[in-house]
Amino acid sequence: MKKKNTLILILLAATVFAMALFCLFVGSSHMTPGECFDALFRKGSASAVRIIYSIRIPRILAALIAGAGLSVSGLIMQTTLGNRMASPSTLGVSNAAVFGANLSIIALAGGFLTAGKNISFYSTGTNPYATSLLAFIFSVGSVLLILGLCRLRSFSPSVVVLAGIAMGSVWTAATTILQFYATDVGLSAAVIWSFGDLGRATYETDIIMLLVVLASLLFFILMSWKYNALLSGSSTAASLGVNVERLRFLSLLLASLITAVCVSYLGIIGFVGIICPHIAKKLLGQDHRISIPASALTGSLLLLAADTLSRSIGSGSALPVGAVTSLLGAPFFIAVILGGWRHRDA
Amino acid sequence: MLEINNLTFRYGRRLPIVLDGLKLTLGDGEIGVLLGKNGAGKSTLFKILTGLERPSSGSIVLNSCNLAAISPRERAKQVAYVPQSVTFGDLSVFDTVLTGRLAHFGLSAGEADREVVNEILEEMGLADFAERSADRLSGGEKQKVAIARAIVGNPSLIVFDEPTGNLDLANEMLLICEMKKLAKERGITILCSLHNIYEAKELGDRFFFMKNGVVAHAGGKDIFTEDVIEDVFGVRINITGRNIL
Repeated sequence: MKKKNTLILILLAATVFAMALFCLFVGSSHMTPGECFDALFRKGSASAVRIIYSIRIPRILAALIAGAGLSVSGLIMQTTLGNRMASPSTLGVSNAAVFGANLSIIALAGGFLTAGKNISFYSTGTNPYATSLLAFIFSVGSVLLILGLCRLRSFSPSVVVLAGIAMGSVWTAATTILQFYATDVGLSAAVIWSFGDLGRATYETDIIMLLVVLASLLFFILMSWKYNALLSGSSTAASLGVNVERLRFLSLLLASLITAVCVSYLGIIGFVGIICPHIAKKLLGQDHRISIPASALTGSLLLLAADTLSRSIGSGSALPVGAVTSLLGAPFFIAVILGGWRHRDA
Repeated sequence: MLEINNLTFRYGRRLPIVLDGLKLTLGDGEIGVLLGKNGAGKSTLFKILTGLERPSSGSIVLNSCNLAAISPRERAKQVAYVPQSVTFGDLSVFDTVLTGRLAHFGLSAGEADREVVNEILEEMGLADFAERSADRLSGGEKQKVAIARAIVGNPSLIVFDEPTGNLDLANEMLLICEMKKLAKERGITILCSLHNIYEAKELGDRFFFMKNGVVAHAGGKDIFTEDVIEDVFGVRINITGRNIL
């Protein structure tokens, strides 16, 4: 690994750390930096301590974990499928999660035939984890079903992508039918759920996401050289001793699991999984020993920045972070693609 | 020695058979050239030799070792592959060649692997390009990088899939010389598919004309007769006396 690349990685990590600290001091409560700093050491008012420890820190951790996870998930999808447009949702995971959540909110929370309940009732139900759990169950089930079907065709990338699109359409159609029969309130709650929102994060959800992301990241890093071999094509990778079929299966499974757990807890956070890996690759090249950590850091940075912006411009209520990631990332992404940011010369 | 016996293969249960009892024998340090129309089964044979596909039946024995019975990693130590169009995903020349040691180092390359790569780069005249992106080299240099990646793992057999397809005449000649050198000096057995019969004649020791998933004609340079060409390619051409050099 080149010294220059290591230096850029360290700089990127330092920027993520600085951004996380900055996020700690920004919010709709208009606390001064001094009050935030005191609250961090459990000094000052009880409400300030609660804001820092119960709202901001879990939210920042969620941005760090989900940003890194979704970005690396996108990178691995792009490499294993040899497709630059692949994203964490290529297997239709997000659509399945949305269906699961809709089922929980619209059908199981009682909104299917009756009206009159408030939105928070629909989105949380009697158990705050029920919606996330159902979203997760459906997304994992969908992934396993697609991977099981694709096994019949040796995980051929084109088959995986097309099967993902088809399966995603099935879940979207099922969601539409469900929403057609929903009450106004149920429908509103379901739509609001699908907006990505880091405010739903708690320490418990952060820990679950962290475990899935860390375990997957460890696997991806260990497989770095195999992914590098895959950059030369499936035949070459196989000739170099890579069990391409097995690597594709495990990589797609873990990348989709990351997406499943993040979408289930936080809603849909689009675009991070496509743009961040591309930005990382443009800046530091495709060597996976570097592009995996670089994608993780870029993802964390973008989601942190997007969340801070969404909380700052939402006048009291945060804008959907998924929309902000696209608003913030897309112009930068287009600039990178068009060459405004020079491709590194290896 | 490479011995392929009664190799059969089809891509799916209901799909037509692609290899239909293929037999082929090649001695150590020999260069075998596969010729045949598109769809004759050459690329499929290479996919099986490199481990991307598993044969339906039959055996491939290399130096008394049945390739079907060993792990992908062990097979990769014995069989290397040079594809027609080479792409390296923006890795540096050094790292690209280092991936040729993947079967030896597994998860992380050691100092010994890096030393072997440096030696090969020096030997192949690529040392000056070591830190450059392999994808940005010229077609001829890219082929050299692909060959360096193939030999760095010290294989017994290298499979070349139409390696001259994207090269100009000068680079074709250089590649043919390089391949002959590999066979002669390193004793590596080479199996290569080519479309150009004059290039094939220049390169090979033994020739295998494939038709409908089997070797229809095999032999030395005297196998190039108008009848054989007509039988395999369906066209009758006068090849007497022609040579590319």
